[in-house]
Amino acid sequence: MKKVVMYTLSTCPWCMRAKKFFREKDIPFEYIDYDKADEGTRRSIREDCLSHGEEMSFPFVKIGEDVVVGYNPQKYSSLLNLSEG
Amino acid sequence: MVWFFAIDEIELGEGGKKPLLVEGEKLLLIRQEGGFYAISNKCPHMDCPLSKGTLEGFVIKCPCHDWLFDIRSGEFLNAREIKVPAYGTKVAEGKVYVNMER
Amino acid sequence: MSVDTEKRMEQFRTMFQRVIDPLGYKFSPDTELVDFLLEQEVLLEKEKGNPYCPCQGLTGEREHDMQLVCPCIPFHREHFDAMKRCWCGLYVHKDVDDPDSLVQISKKEFEASRTKV
Ligand code: SF4
Ligand code: FES
Repeated sequence: MKKVVMYTLSTCPWCMRAKKFFREKDIPFEYIDYDKADEGTRRSIREDCLSHGEEMSFPFVKIGEDVVVGYNPQKYSSLLNLSEG
Repeated sequence: MVWFFAIDEIELGEGGKKPLLVEGEKLLLIRQEGGFYAISNKCPHMDCPLSKGTLEGFVIKCPCHDWLFDIRSGEFLNAREIKVPAYGTKVAEGKVYVNMER
Repeated sequence: MSVDTEKRMEQFRTMFQRVIDPLGYKFSPDTELVDFLLEQEVLLEKEKGNPYCPCQGLTGEREHDMQLVCPCIPFHREHFDAMKRCWCGLYVHKDVDDPDSLVQISKKEFEASRTKV
């Protein structure tokens, strides 16, 4: 299984939906709430987003080597080879 | 046209700005490059007083979130559909008048 | 939700409606989402002084963060127009009746689609 890591905000409804999606599919994931993180972590999250040519728009979801910015269950599923539904 | 007295011309120097109440409207009168410009003193974003902002040429920056407006047309520089109301002005015999009809 | 919060949410509704209307946007028909986001903005204003975007990250640099005060549409116009919604989905194009049919397109995807033409 590819590793799922996401950057989120505690205030962002699409981040909550993304977490719910993986939880409901029983897919383990790690997440960091950018707004609750310490200075150093925040800086490295920002650098990571920028290095992918993105802004800090959340959720920022890393699935293996791939990145999906935004709540996009279709893309999450296809990157994890899940059947839809 | 409905012209209302605003101030005496000598009250406002070049590059100066002054908040005024004209006919119950909060206005901001600005003197720039010899002309007088009148706009509403309330930012169209969240009503902050533009009189507390900074003026550079014909552009005023709102003190709250830095939105930039052209004082001649009232247009917001990043989206010209958004405007702070702008009013006509004239000077007669040393007195500045504002046209409250837009 | 406190009375204060509700009052401030109503003020945001009035002020932001005035800003988004000339840009061709309206509040999303998804009222639950709208209420949630406006409440977050009221809480963000209480905590940080401004109704910042609940879905985009602040850096602490004024120039950057001021462009993430709601509604931030003027600073992301083409990108949001391409999605027919703002990033959070608080606002959608006036002709959108079914906001769930819209997807978020990342900045990079948007720029790639633009250069293709
Ligand atoms: S993305 Fe939407 S909700 Fe977030 S600040 Fe911009 S306009 Fe407001
Ligand atoms: S109130 Fe003027 S820029 Fe926000």
